[in-house]
Amino acid sequence: MKNIFLNSNNLTIGYGNEIVIKNLSLSLSNEKNYEIIGKNGSGKTTLSNFISYNFEGNLFDSVITRDKLDISEISPKATLLENLTLDENVAYFTHYLGIDEETINSKLNKFKLTDYRNDSIKNFSSGMIKRSELAICDIKNPDVLCIDEPLNYLDKEGIEILEDLLNIRSSDNRCSILSSQESLNILTNMETVNLNEV
Amino acid sequence: MKFNKYLIKKELFTEFRNNSSLYLITPTMTVLIIVFPILAENRFAIDEDLFIIIQILFLILFSTLFSIRNPIDNQKLSRELNFARITRSEYFINKITSEFLIYFPQILLFSVLYSAFTNTSVKTSVLYFIFTIIFFSVNTVMVNIIFQMFTSFNNKFVQFILIVPIYMAFSFFIAPIWLGINQELINIYLMLYLGITILIFSFTNIYLERNEK
Repeated sequence: MKNIFLNSNNLTIGYGNEIVIKNLSLSLSNEKNYEIIGKNGSGKTTLSNFISYNFEGNLFDSVITRDKLDISEISPKATLLENLTLDENVAYFTHYLGIDEETINSKLNKFKLTDYRNDSIKNFSSGMIKRSELAICDIKNPDVLCIDEPLNYLDKEGIEILEDLLNIRSSDNRCSILSSQESLNILTNMETVNLNEV
Repeated sequence: MKFNKYLIKKELFTEFRNNSSLYLITPTMTVLIIVFPILAENRFAIDEDLFIIIQILFLILFSTLFSIRNPIDNQKLSRELNFARITRSEYFINKITSEFLIYFPQILLFSVLYSAFTNTSVKTSVLYFIFTIIFFSVNTVMVNIIFQMFTSFNNKFVQFILIVPIYMAFSFFIAPIWLGINQELINIYLMLYLGITILIFSFTNIYLERNEK
C-alpha cells in the first residue's frame, strides 16, 4: 500500500550547533525509489542516517511526520560484527524474522558467499563485507533500504548483484534510497533529492 | 522484559574471541593476589583485619578493569541495534545477562582464590557470600552499562574515575556481611541491596522504554 513514510517541509538537522541540512522539503513514499545526490559535506550521509533512524545529531526546528517502517541502512562503515562468522552475523541480524535455512542458503549462494559462511568477518575484505551486508538486506527484505555510496568497494560482479537486488525490490514496489555524489543510473524510475540545491 | 538468545550468544562469542577479560584481566589479578600476601606479610596468610578491606579493594579494581575493557561505541551500537531490530531496553537486559554470565564466574573464582592464597576467609556462610557476590556483580555490570549507554567516554581514565566511587558504594553493603554481622542484619543488608538493584534496573528500563515510544 502506497504510503508517505517520511514527510517534512522544513527539515533542519546537524551536529552540535552546526546545521548540515537546512529547510529541506522531503516527502518519501515506500513504493518509490530515490537517489540522494550532493557534493562532499552536503549532508548525504546525514540524511541517509536520518531516514534510517541512525542519526545521532541534533534536530532543529522541523516539523516531521514519519511512520515506523522496517528500514535498513548499508553505509561505508561496516555494521557487521567482526568477531562473528558470516553465519552468526546472518542469524543475529535476521533473528526477528524467523527465516528458514533454505532461503538463507539460496540468498547467500546468490551473493556468492556460500564458501565463506564459517569465516570470521574480520578476515573479510571491504568488498566482501559490503556483499555480505547486501545479502543480509536481501534476506531481510526491509520496507526501505538505504545504501550510502552503493558502489563503494564493489567489483563488477558485485555491482551486477546490487543492480539485480535493486531491480527486484523495485518490481516488488519496495523503496530503495541510494546516496552518492552523482546520479548512478542504476534504476530508471528514481526520484532525486539534490542536496546541492538546498 | 525479553530475553534474546541471539544477542546473548553474540555477546558471549564476542567476549570469548576478543578475550581481553578472560586472558588479560583475570590472570593479572590472580597473580596480584598470589603475590600480595607474600609482599604484605612475607607468608601465605594475612591478618583478618586486613583481609576484607584488601579483598574489597581487589574486587573494586577487578570490576573497574572489567568495566573499561571493552567500551561501547554508541554510534556503532545504535547502527547495529537498528540493523538487528533490537530495542535499547531489550539490549539493556540482555547485555546485563551476558555480562553477568562472563563476570560472575570470574569474580567468584577470583574471590575463592584470594581466600585460598591468603589462608583467610570471610566470616559468613557460603550462601551469603555467593549472594553478596551476585548482587555486587549485577549492580556493577548494570551501572557500567548505564554509564556507557548514556554517556560517551572516549577516555577510559575518566570512566575509571567516575565509576570507582559507585563501585565503592556497592562494596560498602557487602563489607559488614563479610565481617560477620548477625543474621537479622544480614537479611536487612541483602534486602537493601536487592532494593537498590531493582530500583536501578526499573528506572533505567522505564526511561529506555519511554524513549522508544
